[in-house]
Amino acid sequence: MTGDGQSQARPRFEFRRNTWILAAGFLALLCAVNYFLQDNFFEPGVMVSNLTTFTPLILIAIGQTYVILASDIDLSVGAIVSLVNVVTVSIMHHLGGDALAVAAGIGAGVATGLAAGAANGLCVAALRFQPIITTFATGTVFAGLALWILPDAGTVQAPEPVWRTYSASFVGVPFVIWSLGVVALGCWLYSRSRPYLTLMAVGGNIRAAFGSGLPVMRTRIAGYVICGLFCSLGALALTGETATGDPLIGIAFTLSSISAVVLGGTALSGGVGGVLGSVLGAILLGLISNVIFFAGTPFEYQNLIQGVIVLVALAGGVFVSRGGAR
Amino acid sequence: MTVLEAADVHKRFGGVVALAGANLELAAGEVHVLIGANGCGKSTLCKIITGSVFADRGTIRLDGRAMRFRTPSEAARAGVGVFYQELSLIPQLTVAENLFLRRPPRSRAGLVDRRRLRREASRALERFAGAIGDIGPDHLVADLSADQRQVVEILKVLVDEPRVILFDEPTAALDNRQVEVFFDLVDALRREGRSIIFISHRMDEVFRIGDRVTVFRNGESVATMHIADTDKDEVVEKMLGTRIEAVERRRDAPKAADVAMRAEAIGGTHFDDVSFDLRRGEILGLGGLHGQGQSSLLRALFGADNAFSGSVAVGGEVYRPRGPRDAIRAGVAYVSGDRGRDGVFPVRPVFENFVAALLTRRRRARLDRRALSAEVGAVGDRLKLRAASLDALISELSGGNQQKVVIGRWLVNEPRILLLDDPTKGIDLNTKSDLYRILDELCMEGVSVVFYSSEERELLANADRIAVFNGGRVVDLLEGERVSELNLYRAAFAAEGH
Ligand SMILES: Nc1ncnc2c1ncn2[C@@H]1O[C@H](COP(=O)(O)OP(=O)(O)O)[C@@H](O)[C@H]1O
Ligand SMILES: [Mg+2]
Repeated sequence: MTGDGQSQARPRFEFRRNTWILAAGFLALLCAVNYFLQDNFFEPGVMVSNLTTFTPLILIAIGQTYVILASDIDLSVGAIVSLVNVVTVSIMHHLGGDALAVAAGIGAGVATGLAAGAANGLCVAALRFQPIITTFATGTVFAGLALWILPDAGTVQAPEPVWRTYSASFVGVPFVIWSLGVVALGCWLYSRSRPYLTLMAVGGNIRAAFGSGLPVMRTRIAGYVICGLFCSLGALALTGETATGDPLIGIAFTLSSISAVVLGGTALSGGVGGVLGSVLGAILLGLISNVIFFAGTPFEYQNLIQGVIVLVALAGGVFVSRGGAR
Repeated sequence: MTVLEAADVHKRFGGVVALAGANLELAAGEVHVLIGANGCGKSTLCKIITGSVFADRGTIRLDGRAMRFRTPSEAARAGVGVFYQELSLIPQLTVAENLFLRRPPRSRAGLVDRRRLRREASRALERFAGAIGDIGPDHLVADLSADQRQVVEILKVLVDEPRVILFDEPTAALDNRQVEVFFDLVDALRREGRSIIFISHRMDEVFRIGDRVTVFRNGESVATMHIADTDKDEVVEKMLGTRIEAVERRRDAPKAADVAMRAEAIGGTHFDDVSFDLRRGEILGLGGLHGQGQSSLLRALFGADNAFSGSVAVGGEVYRPRGPRDAIRAGVAYVSGDRGRDGVFPVRPVFENFVAALLTRRRRARLDRRALSAEVGAVGDRLKLRAASLDALISELSGGNQQKVVIGRWLVNEPRILLLDDPTKGIDLNTKSDLYRILDELCMEGVSVVFYSSEERELLANADRIAVFNGGRVVDLLEGERVSELNLYRAAFAAEGH
């Protein structure tokens, strides 16, 4: 049917393969604006302190990315964060706050995140429930558990070593940077692995992936479990920062993690994008709040302006990628 | 020696019987052709063998042992590979990633070895060098043309080096040169002792490459023959059944000779160089195998796809719709069997579904619910519509009654030309005969109909003339005495371009 008129497709630079580029562009712009408003913005101390504030969202957005790449979605991430936070802090507190108690708390927190992710994955992939509804429901359960474990915020504190370590430096490099470095290495290794290719295939076209002999169910479950893991890491970072147990601490992360992923260029339809974009997206969201704050915006307009900026960034992404697809 | 055997396989999808006693024996090192009309269950059998569909009854034996693969991955590990008719490529991934999706080469660290991945993909692509244009391992599959994708799917099957290969219509979108390369590959595979099932509708290919052929009819395997001992006529005869009975014609050809629509050398996405005169009050059938351009033609004529080249006149005036709106205003209507996609507003009442197109035609008409209800009710009665009331949700109706509403929508609109795109897909016999009756009545009133159906008998019973499509072109126009099952099959199954 095509005869001689075959398409002469050439590999060229494409937004479909470098979906993070736009977010990077916006980020550069926002850094410039931020520098204009806050002249010490590029000082190491300020940058590290900013990064420390953004770290929980960065981690949670990374987790959400893997789920979305597999063409699913997780609306329970905020609740998982809350649950991990109260589990961790409660265990540390009840075991007396020594090193062993801290280790036990961290271990229990990570296990909680993994278990919550596994529960989501089993419901969605094995029982084939609809992802949005399912994770909304499991999120309600997780949030309920968190409230049951610790009904009131601030009544239990994380022991001192936790927040001391979190804000400490090792060999001159802050703990947060070390952690993000380890996470980056892990994400890079994962992105070069066979399971990651399978994840992208499942997100791209689930029927074709099944027909190609890929383990579809296992892959989707893995997406949710990894997301649970990153939620627990995000919750631990949050605990290190706030040093307190709060059953409502995670609520805002559900939607902001999805915003970060989308701002980072990952398609909600699955199979396109990556964690680098989401990291940039998370920083972008944080900087937007910064800019609004330092611009001295009256409190009552802050949400409005933040929403409009996010919308503009998204619209820009849509226009450019549509232009690029033609 | 038999490598793969399917014995008495049965499968139903809801009310549709896909397989009703399929048998197949694949010998070691042979190319075994499966042939049969659309929808006779060939693809379903392939999917049952490779574990993506479960049979209701029957056994599959591999090397004499009964096997029941639960997933395509189990089949792949047992050395059974499949080329899917609908392809199994991931558009967002590159050619190289798609080729080695199941087992990408790994470095010693256990990570995907991207250098080797690209190198091995390039080597695989070389098999089709010169025949698939300029595609490399890093191209996204989304950017490939239909034939290039089919080539990638072929190579993807071969990457696993399966012992048993099922090719489900691998040549459908390939051009001649690509088919040559593919046949050379198949020859080489056969020489290596691999066993191949090959499904094709092109009779020439069947006789060129096959060792044996098994003919399917209505979900049953009716005969297996050595290619050397048979000919095309015998194969066609087996596909039709032994009795080639005359299909009862439902009505006389129209007398009127004025032309309602004239198409001259029009071309579009999947059709080319199509010309016809649609007479007033006639049903012009579009025949041929599924997906030979018939639906694309109808959608283009309705303005629902990209514009067509060439020229079309409706009632003597130039007709060049930029969208369905233009078509509707020119008195052209379109009904598709794909109700979910093209026809129905599912959670809205019957009434609204009826008047949807009217809103376009009578641009400034006030929506007088009472006057319209009378009009709509009359059409509903004429269609023998069974609905609780005009306020019932259309999704509560049976498929047949939904289809009546979709057709009724256009009757309210009083079209001059009705384009039917496989309109009876999935509806019951009673509704079908109601529709045939209505078509007759419409033709009496001077409406002209272009009717594509994937059911040959439906065409033969209703169409005055049949344009047979093959590879996007009209290869034969059956008229008068020549409107027969045999002629229809001959033209439909001929090699492309004959
Ligand atoms: N997943 C499915 N659900 C419902 N009906 C199906 C499904 N797959 C196939 N069928 C029906 O089964 C019959 C056989 O289809 P198929 O095996 O694709 O035929 P062929 O490949 O010979 O053209 C057709 O009537 C088709 O509509
Ligand atoms: Mg088929």
